[in-house]
Amino acid sequence: MLLPASLDEAVEALAATPAAVPVAGGTDLMTSVNSGQLRPAALVGLGRISEIRGWQYQDGHALLGAGLTHARIGRPDFAALIPALAAAARAAGPPTIRNAGTLGGNIAAGAPTGDSLPVLAALEATLIIAGPGGSLREVPVSHLLAGMDNLRAGELIGFVRVPLLHAPQVFLKATGRTGPGRSTGSVAVVLDPARRGVRCAVGAIAPMPLRPLEAEAWVASHIDWDAGRALAPEALTAFGDYVAAACIPDGTAPDGTPEQLSPAVLHLRRTVAALARRALGRALA
Amino acid sequence: MSNETATAADPTDTAPTPPPHGLGTSLKPADARAKTEGTFPYAADLWAEGLLWAAILRSPHPHARVVSIDTSFAAAMPGVHAVVTHEDVPGDPAHGRRIADRPVFASDLVRHHGEPIAAVAADHPDTARMAAAAIAVEYEVLDPVTDPEEAFAAEPLHPDGNLIRHIPLRYGDPEAAGDVVVEGLYRIGRQDPAPIGAEAGLAVPRPDGGVELYVASTDPHADRDLAAACYGLEPSRVKVVVTGVPGATADREDPGLQLPLGLLALKTGCPVKITATREESFLGHPHRHPTLLRYRHHADAEGRLVKVEAQILLDGGAYADASSESLAAAVAFACGPYVVPHAFIEGWAVRTNNPPSGHVRGEGAMQVCAAYEAQMDKLAARIGMDPAELRLRNALATGDILPTGQTVTCPAPVAELLREVRDFPLPQLPKDTPEEDWLLPGGPEGAGEPGAVRRGVGYGLGMVHMLGAEGADEVSTATVKVKDGVATVICAAVDTGQGFATLARQIVQETLGLDEVHVAPADTDQPPAGPACRGRHTWVSGGAVERAAKMVRTQLLQPLAAKFGMSTELLQITDGKITSYDGVLSTTVMEAMDGKELWATAQCRPHPTEPLDETGQGDAFVGMAFCAVRAVVDVDVEIGAIRVVELAVAQDVGRVLNPDQLRARIEAGVTQGVGAALTENLRAPRGLVRHPDLTGYALPTALDAPDIRIVKLVEERDVVAPFGAKAASAVPVVTSPAAVAAAVRAATGRPVNRLPIRPQAAVVTSGE
Repeated sequence: MLLPASLDEAVEALAATPAAVPVAGGTDLMTSVNSGQLRPAALVGLGRISEIRGWQYQDGHALLGAGLTHARIGRPDFAALIPALAAAARAAGPPTIRNAGTLGGNIAAGAPTGDSLPVLAALEATLIIAGPGGSLREVPVSHLLAGMDNLRAGELIGFVRVPLLHAPQVFLKATGRTGPGRSTGSVAVVLDPARRGVRCAVGAIAPMPLRPLEAEAWVASHIDWDAGRALAPEALTAFGDYVAAACIPDGTAPDGTPEQLSPAVLHLRRTVAALARRALGRALA
Repeated sequence: MSNETATAADPTDTAPTPPPHGLGTSLKPADARAKTEGTFPYAADLWAEGLLWAAILRSPHPHARVVSIDTSFAAAMPGVHAVVTHEDVPGDPAHGRRIADRPVFASDLVRHHGEPIAAVAADHPDTARMAAAAIAVEYEVLDPVTDPEEAFAAEPLHPDGNLIRHIPLRYGDPEAAGDVVVEGLYRIGRQDPAPIGAEAGLAVPRPDGGVELYVASTDPHADRDLAAACYGLEPSRVKVVVTGVPGATADREDPGLQLPLGLLALKTGCPVKITATREESFLGHPHRHPTLLRYRHHADAEGRLVKVEAQILLDGGAYADASSESLAAAVAFACGPYVVPHAFIEGWAVRTNNPPSGHVRGEGAMQVCAAYEAQMDKLAARIGMDPAELRLRNALATGDILPTGQTVTCPAPVAELLREVRDFPLPQLPKDTPEEDWLLPGGPEGAGEPGAVRRGVGYGLGMVHMLGAEGADEVSTATVKVKDGVATVICAAVDTGQGFATLARQIVQETLGLDEVHVAPADTDQPPAGPACRGRHTWVSGGAVERAAKMVRTQLLQPLAAKFGMSTELLQITDGKITSYDGVLSTTVMEAMDGKELWATAQCRPHPTEPLDETGQGDAFVGMAFCAVRAVVDVDVEIGAIRVVELAVAQDVGRVLNPDQLRARIEAGVTQGVGAALTENLRAPRGLVRHPDLTGYALPTALDAPDIRIVKLVEERDVVAPFGAKAASAVPVVTSPAAVAAAVRAATGRPVNRLPIRPQAAVVTSGE
């Protein structure tokens, strides 16, 4: 177990011990270790790297340390800055998990149900990845989650750059229970009034967050941006259905004929439609 | 000890009030403080010098032929002391509580996912696990039988055939018909008992060639007999010592874990310890029977039941276990606590390659309750009658006859229970609080929207039997010892957390007037007390403790009574003093005992029952308990999220012996019922258990648990039960899922015929 005090030291430690596994909150990693599925030869603990446990402003963006815990992100000062990310952090699990689990860990684990992922996808966040020899490279979060550009050996997620949009954002999540649970479907909606855009991402229904780009563009063109961001109620409902149909398309058999979706999938589509409609409705309210 | 715990628990109480004492008071459990502080030792905390660690290799397939097992590589690994397979079982190769049909280790065939194949003892848990993984097993994978309806026609999974039991209950006139007929098909999922502490144990070899098993057993003598038969030893050479039990709402039996442990200890000559992983725990122990039910209810135009026809199919998993008893309860209570003049119920329990089923609180009764209550709702809707009114019109009472032909002789205040919950004020809508403070379906961080939420109210009436049924010999033996003014209870009845030890102390306090009472830990050197389930121990073991205490009382008072020429009944003992009714005689217990030690042992054996005959008739049950629940739910009808707002419970308890404990038992039972209604279902598509962990298997959290209002505890003493008390834990589990389903039905207008309720079943699509 190594406990580096800076990002550079951590990267060095990983380079020196290639078999070592980095661990931050451990909420994901330690379940594999405890159940005997993973026996890391060594661990590089990231908990003492103070530079990645805070955030700073950087020309219209926030530079978030990858070691920020869900609990910290969920606090009101943060919620004033990036409301959807704060909402996702508050929904990320029971307090024990939120106190330990980190933003970077959520991204690195890349679980489909990771609550912060659809928000980062909707915000079009950029990851700043530290590599051997003090190198830094930037990767859009969607590229990493889609597997287009993976973390390479010895690399660590250092920071996440998120635009500050100064407009309402909503994250909504459906679970099977009242208590904290894994998401069965989630939707993040962020408004970008400067570009007169709406960005939306749907989580937990696919291996990575899905962006219904056509639905975003369509609804943005129907919002009256100069008159209190008004939108006709029918358009709101249509947006929900548009998002759901884009993310959960009608089934087709291998020979191209349409296929009936199973009741469970139809329910998921209905849930996504309701979440997207509610999320945009609340963002525009 | 008890005094300190009781007074220390309430520091605000400045006046020195006497601590709770005797029956009817809320005496605190002696181990409450240790359990709260985390110092109470459970099975997983045991340690012995030089112990080895065991690991079990379990089948990854639900159905496969075992072609070969090669343990040579595992046995040669450094640190491995022993590897055992079916070839190393010296005694009976198969075991079972009722039918010995389950192999200790699979030899030629595996019949469910997680069936034990081999076990390893090594000097480190990781070594043991790695060695178990290094055992090479060649399987010929077979098609699993996972649909219980296919089990009838499928190739036999077991030499005993696929049908474990069939009960065709016939009662009344098959030609009877009602003006109104409603039908339904219902499915109940697989609830896991999910004990908070996973299975664990320690086996220690004895110098005489025997072995001691330290396990969290709920039925130590039965576990000892299983183990002795398996090891080929006399039962006297196997001792089961009961450790702290970390939660038990089922038979806490996973012999697949306990039996290999002793084998390894016998083979290595060293103590051997095992702690099951959560995954193993989900795979190994018995679950609630998944059940398929078809119902047809006939009623007249005024809503009086005429006839009930039903088919009930229990998925027993691969082995018989408690399926026969569960089926008897399901068939006998298939009509519920209602008067039904004609009933025709067919019940089957069959073998499949699904995870094992067995005794879980309220087995059989819970599945049928969800179905018959759904039928009652359907009938009420068809006739256009209030659901509560329909139930009241048909409610069972003392003196009525069950479809098994048994007359209900115990108190059965069914109508009173239902009136109590119906008339209890409904919870207020959160109109006066700010919208953001509302706890909506989906939780505080969920997607709930007040506009999409509908509220529903529904009722459930349920019943269970108490004690073993159908001629089971229900007996318990207890010993009470008094020395130096301190009483000790020696009884093999296990306190699983249900509070038997506390109750035993209260009984002795009540009978002997002594404050300080200890309960000795349970092991198999004591006479048998039977399993800790079906509310048995309050009845049989409590009864045995009371008799033994009364015998000690007589021994203590007889010489005094003889000296003063009065009956012992005219003397009373309070606060360690013996006084006569007229106050003439007054002496202390210490003086009367004169340094003697008084012992007495007594048995309690309730009156016998008989098996159900070939038409499902017979006086199969000693006693019954009833419960009424009113559920109030909020449903987000767009996404199908459900929150149970409140459950109001009225229960027939016979007599309240410990108010705090009783309420805790009812609240725990109701919460388990909410789990069964909404989230708890161990999924096993194609026989493979999915998500065997507590994230995937969603137990109710504090946010999921509703407000539980115990509206009324009806105390009509059951004259045949000691103290007149009825078992209280199982009947809320049985009734609350039915009530939750009824409330969701009321909120959405959807049929809700499956438990747990899936979100898509609680959605109202536009236009409705």
